[in-house]
Amino acid sequence: MKTPLILKTIFGDPDRMNKSALFLLIFLFAVIFNACNSSDNNDDVVFDQASLLIDVEPDEISGILEKYKGEKVILLNVWATWCAPCVEEFPYITRIQREYADDVQVVFISADFYEDRERAIKFLEDHNVNWETYFKLGRDEDFIEALSSDWRGSLPFTQIISKNGEIVNEWIDKAEYEFFESQVLEALNQ
Amino acid sequence: MKKLQSLITLVAAFAVLFIGFTTMNNGVADELPIGEKALMTDVKMEDITGSMISLADVAGENGLLVVFTSNTCPWVHRWEDRYVEIGALANEKNIGMIALNPNEPTRGNGESMADMIKRAADYNYNFHYALDKDHKLADAYGALHTPHIYLFNSDMTLVYRGAIDDNARSAAEVQNHYLKDAINSLAAGEAIAVTTSKSLGCTIKRD
Repeated sequence: MKTPLILKTIFGDPDRMNKSALFLLIFLFAVIFNACNSSDNNDDVVFDQASLLIDVEPDEISGILEKYKGEKVILLNVWATWCAPCVEEFPYITRIQREYADDVQVVFISADFYEDRERAIKFLEDHNVNWETYFKLGRDEDFIEALSSDWRGSLPFTQIISKNGEIVNEWIDKAEYEFFESQVLEALNQ
Repeated sequence: MKKLQSLITLVAAFAVLFIGFTTMNNGVADELPIGEKALMTDVKMEDITGSMISLADVAGENGLLVVFTSNTCPWVHRWEDRYVEIGALANEKNIGMIALNPNEPTRGNGESMADMIKRAADYNYNFHYALDKDHKLADAYGALHTPHIYLFNSDMTLVYRGAIDDNARSAAEVQNHYLKDAINSLAAGEAIAVTTSKSLGCTIKRD
């Protein structure tokens, strides 16, 4: 078989290639390939940007939360780019996701107006969010009731859900990292 | 493992103790229930004309409409085109209307009296607009976010509480005109079909 010119240029003519050099090349490829696949660091996994902000109707929310039942504690946070306290606490929540990746799943739901959807995506990208988040569709009241009948609609809104699907705590207004962490730890301890 | 669990509990307990207690209602009283009388009706508040007025001063023959609002909340901005329509309807039905601004910590950031005067002029407010100093009324009424509505009848009894309608973004796409319907029913002496509703909104700043 004739060797393509480009390969010859890069590697030289295989017919004349030293056997040990070829072996070294294969070994190097194997090491690189293995390194790429064996990494368990989430940051290295290529994330599909199309999943960064998924439209969600109120009646679809329970199905999303169900996915993590028995697996992870959920920190659900309703936010919007126009909501100053939401923006303030956002980095604390992303830090929770990174530091408790094995045990906690942060579920962000943006309550931005539809015309601000791109702005919300930009915000998520700027904060290096690399997991699925959601964008609220539908009527406010249906959305509020789908999450909690005790919630009156103020933003931000956060809910901590235990691995067995029970709401451990929920609150409005912003919180500090230590508070988020304490609530997540409490849920993990249940 | 038990030791670890105890440690986590201890850390969590200390964290809650020292970081503060963040709750669903943020330490604010429950919302005034339907059927209750209006509170703090004689408290005088400065309005955008420079007068000192109370809820009792504003109330009309058929009732009183109180709107907790903000100059800077995007949710208010989306609904604001309907403020003036509601103002006209309330006026026509002899229901006094007042908007109250309770955002005390952000007076220097868009919520001052000067900002209120400008907002009212820019958006042709046709109702009273007063400053709820130290969010005293918002606290008494259990208002947590803006915009938030409390409608009282001629006896100053709460007959409707909640949102203006079910679509902040677009007046044209509204399906339920909660407040307009409540005002019309109230003025006609009929029972109000939907007495409470919920919407998203900006948290009233209380820090």
